[in-house]
Amino acid sequence: MASLSISDAAHAAGVLAGTLIENTATATYKSGISTGSVTSNKVTVKVDELLNVAVTTLSTAPAVAGNAPAVLVYSVTNSGNGPEAFDLAADPKVAGNAFDGTVTQLALDTDDNGIYEAGIDTMLGAGAATQSLAPDKSVKVFVLVTAPAGATDAQTSQVRLTALAATGTGTPGTSFAGKGEGGGDAVVGLTSASANSLASLIASLAAVTLTKTAAITDQFNTAKPVPGATVTYTLSAKITGTGTVEGLHINDGIPAGTTYVPGSLKLGTSALTDADDTDAGKAGTSGIDVTLPTLSGGTTSNVSFAVKIN
Amino acid sequence: MKAKFLAAILALGLLSGPAYAAAPPSAVALKGSVQLEKTVTVDGTSRVELVEPKVVVPGDKLLFTTSYRNDSTAAVTDFVVTNPVPGAVVVSSDALSTAEVSVDGGKTWGLIAALKVSDGKGGVRAALAGDATHLRWTIPSIAPGASGKVEYHAIVR
Repeated sequence: MASLSISDAAHAAGVLAGTLIENTATATYKSGISTGSVTSNKVTVKVDELLNVAVTTLSTAPAVAGNAPAVLVYSVTNSGNGPEAFDLAADPKVAGNAFDGTVTQLALDTDDNGIYEAGIDTMLGAGAATQSLAPDKSVKVFVLVTAPAGATDAQTSQVRLTALAATGTGTPGTSFAGKGEGGGDAVVGLTSASANSLASLIASLAAVTLTKTAAITDQFNTAKPVPGATVTYTLSAKITGTGTVEGLHINDGIPAGTTYVPGSLKLGTSALTDADDTDAGKAGTSGIDVTLPTLSGGTTSNVSFAVKIN
Repeated sequence: MKAKFLAAILALGLLSGPAYAAAPPSAVALKGSVQLEKTVTVDGTSRVELVEPKVVVPGDKLLFTTSYRNDSTAAVTDFVVTNPVPGAVVVSSDALSTAEVSVDGGKTWGLIAALKVSDGKGGVRAALAGDATHLRWTIPSIAPGASGKVEYHAIVR
């Protein structure tokens, strides 16, 4: 009788590797007045492992590489008929790139939620492989990419993720004796047991332009730097680009021959205390130092302070 | 002790079952074989070779052959060969022109074009090659000493 050692359930990747195809025929007949029946020997063919893989990009829009790396999301599917692990390689050097990013990390989406979570997902070392995937099963792969210093804002780049069957790759039909599931052979399928896909990232950078202006008020209203006049300096930090700037410090010295006017330090229109305390700034004879919050592109922050000419 | 004895009888029964069923010794010998169709391209010309199925993967085409020979001194008539189709293969449509087909495990038979199967949605649809569960060939008469074969192509699912 025909039977299968494993499941014969319909399968996109084909009959599972290791399945036995067994064929037996029976015959009935008449010979004179008697009837007879006869059964043939059973012929058995073991299904070998077909090595196939598919890679697709799940990122629909370019991932943003700013202060944090861009997270590119790919899906690797075992389209073969046996359990197989796949070696992964991410290449940031793709023809046509405005810049080539730097791949900093590969990770497997352990909880399969499509969101990169550093504490949950499995980090992979360079040249690492996926876990063994059952036929038709997929795993999501994260590739973290940073934009290099030379990139400019809003430039895009692509990264190619390649997955190779761990058993081997090659032209379709190449076989690896004894390397298949169930002790059979492994045979390279039409995908060459290798697949790749491109995902895009976009640089989101910000540039800072600092300008300093001075305004003089004196007791004679001449706006001349005469002894006793007050000079108010304004330092403007203009942020351009789509990115953000974190941890920007503005500091300046007190010019020689002048004295800092206590309590004159301001961030925008808000006064800051001179003391080195919980507010963003400090000021004194040695100069001023203001720590700015995270700044978005398109904004300008002003820091001002006053000195009196001796 | 008793269980072991019973198991031994069962094992013996399984092994020798067909021989008992066919007693007295069968007038006809039946032999099965399988080959793999392989397309070989030499100098741009492709041809199909039948080779030993050493490496078989989904999509490959197999040829199952059942050979018969009348070993008796009398003519054998109404010779009917029944072949359950392994679940891991789909019968190639070329086999369906020479054999009767069953799509219900061998209960009913006919030409594939006349058979219907459940469409899984409460209705029926025309049977396709992939629905064939059994094949059957009828040879009206085999002369003493004469031999022949029946065969079908099948594609590994």
